[in-house]
Amino acid sequence: MHPATSPTADTPAGRNHRTPLSRRRFARGLAAVALAVPLVLGAAGCGDDEAGADGPVKLSVFWWGGEARAKLTEDALALYTKKHPEVTFEKTWQANQGYFDKLATLTAGGNPPDLFQIDDNYLAEYAGRSTTLDLTSYRDSGKLDVSKFPKSLWQYGVVDGKLAGLAAGENTQGLVYNKTLLEKNGLPAPTTGMTWEEHIAWAEQVAKKAKVPGTQDPSADYKAFWVWLRQQGKDLYRGQELGFTAEDVTRWFELWQGARDRGATPTPDVIHEGNATDITKQLVVTGKAATSWVWANQMPDLKKNTKDELGVIAYPGDPSAQWARASMYWSVFKGSKHKDVAVDVINFMMNDPEAVALLGTDRGLPSNLDLRAKVSETATDPAMKQSIQVESELAQKFGESPQVPIKGHSKVRSELTKAAENAQYGRATPAEAAAQFVTACKSAIG
Amino acid sequence: MALTTAPDRTRRTGPAGTHPAGRGSGRVRHGEGPAGYVFLSPWLIGLMGITAIPMLLSLWLSFTDYDILTPLSEVRWVGLANYERMFTADPAYWHAVRVTLTFALVAVPLKLAAALGVALLLNRAWRGVGLFRALFYLPSLLGGSVALAIVWVNMFNRDGAFNSFLALFGVEGLPWASDPDWALETLMVLAIWQFGAPMVIFLAGLKQIPTDLYEAASVDGAGTWRKFRAVTLPMLSPVIFFNLVLETIHGFQGFTAAFVLSHGTGGPVDSTLMYTLKLYISGFTDLEMGYASAMAWVFLAAIALITAIFFSTGRFWVHYSDGESS
Repeated sequence: MHPATSPTADTPAGRNHRTPLSRRRFARGLAAVALAVPLVLGAAGCGDDEAGADGPVKLSVFWWGGEARAKLTEDALALYTKKHPEVTFEKTWQANQGYFDKLATLTAGGNPPDLFQIDDNYLAEYAGRSTTLDLTSYRDSGKLDVSKFPKSLWQYGVVDGKLAGLAAGENTQGLVYNKTLLEKNGLPAPTTGMTWEEHIAWAEQVAKKAKVPGTQDPSADYKAFWVWLRQQGKDLYRGQELGFTAEDVTRWFELWQGARDRGATPTPDVIHEGNATDITKQLVVTGKAATSWVWANQMPDLKKNTKDELGVIAYPGDPSAQWARASMYWSVFKGSKHKDVAVDVINFMMNDPEAVALLGTDRGLPSNLDLRAKVSETATDPAMKQSIQVESELAQKFGESPQVPIKGHSKVRSELTKAAENAQYGRATPAEAAAQFVTACKSAIG
Repeated sequence: MALTTAPDRTRRTGPAGTHPAGRGSGRVRHGEGPAGYVFLSPWLIGLMGITAIPMLLSLWLSFTDYDILTPLSEVRWVGLANYERMFTADPAYWHAVRVTLTFALVAVPLKLAAALGVALLLNRAWRGVGLFRALFYLPSLLGGSVALAIVWVNMFNRDGAFNSFLALFGVEGLPWASDPDWALETLMVLAIWQFGAPMVIFLAGLKQIPTDLYEAASVDGAGTWRKFRAVTLPMLSPVIFFNLVLETIHGFQGFTAAFVLSHGTGGPVDSTLMYTLKLYISGFTDLEMGYASAMAWVFLAAIALITAIFFSTGRFWVHYSDGESS
């Protein structure tokens, strides 16, 4: 397209306007047009819109989630189309399981969505391979407005100095418990700040009295392990290295072996069922345990799967080990033909009062603090209200955000599950399982 | 069936095939050449585009560090590194090989035995035998379907239908599908249960055995078992061979049920980490498509080798009926 713009953009030639050379300029211009026309036609054939910003744009959007999220997201996108009639959306969504397989396949097939949802399990994988657009320049120019975001929240999308995704919401680890069950059996509710030992002792009491295991065994759960590590002054990652040793893992596995021996947790096969990431499989809603280890923003979704009343608190131990985590991000594909529009859509979903009101807390607390306050005031769903309240309380106690998990993290997660289950089924001692895990991690991130 | 009748058919179509050539001339066939390719083109394009070219591409990828997300133009050639890692540095790989071999060694013979046993029963002239044939074939129609695997896993849960059945006899069942010692066995039983396809092939093969052989055997005083050993098995051997090769390949390729049972992880504790599942996880979850491609090629070579072994041993125990007639 450069030949087409050169005759007018060429300012030195413009100064020669009144010289007799204008005939030569005319010929040059004609040649430029002759060159440019096929180029423009060719570009139009490819469906490029950068040349004519006013042309209709069809933006592909891909996310994971349930039907409720689909409805909210579709409403918000429809609102964008209402305000910008030239922009329409091709929406695709599916369950979390298999989402990243599909995203990778779409990317490999040269047909990735312009705009997609991603989380910290994969952000570094995608950013490290330059699949995501660096949003830094948009943030600097204010096209992507993060001025109302908590700084730690949008910074949790920075990988290798690039803003790889923008936090679509904020959440934190949440321990969800079955209120109805506890009340029925005259048992006390757990509270934030209980130590791990106290939590396990409490769970043992529940198991004895209510005949339901008090807590899911979270030894396979990276987010619980992570919080526990941070309370020991360790971390999941330090730079490009592991932030823990095999001894730490052994202690973690031994802690839960003790809990299993005391009958505080379910049997290994039930623990295995609860290790699935699927909301509907969480033991607190299937009635197979009194508590599940989830993200606080999943409360309303969990509530939909059970008749019982639920409560949510922080994970055991010092809650300052938890942090304002970007529950998920919106990222733009680097090769997208509609980058500017895609970024504008993100900005709209994050900062437009109407859109934020529509989206609610489904993806976590709204990132924009002003709008978060507004959404909290108007929330009607009791489960949503409760998760907002708890998350806001915890926000007072949050510590520093850790670094975004590094490349290979998804493998580290699955290796943790494998090692923990090895110990749970009694096929390895905690120390053996820990050694296996650390070896596997090193090869995964190395 | 197919294998035994094939020679007959060629003999019959042989003279017919020479017919047009005798009547017309070579010129006709010349003109038909391009037209033939045009008619062939849908298949040819499919073969090249969907099978041959992607396969060659994956052979190339197996020598690279391709990770799916990076464009193909930027992949790095790593030589034999993927193959080296597979054989020397990835214990999970050998674990997957073990799981797959265990699965195939147990499930395939049992499935064939079940298929042959039921085929023998259904080869008699009973009233309503057609209905039974259809019923026994039904599970295979459901094939590698995801829905079936989901139902199966739920049946073999701790509170599944199978344990309710055991409870009738006062037996307390295990959580079969989520017990690392039993999850693979659960999948084996599913595979064996779907014996319909080899059964139908066995049935067809049984019908091909001339009844005069049995009559002659009876006259010689052979009992049921002797007739089975001396007549049925040798006469059926080409069909057994065919089923064995096919089901072995099929057994090695088991994926869907293991994927569904383990939510795509090969769990619990890698007990259902079939080779194809490991390959899938490497390619799509761990984003190591180059490594996964190398695994796929080793897999192809291994299946080819096993099939070759079957064929080379086949001449010791497979009897083709046309051997006697020609």
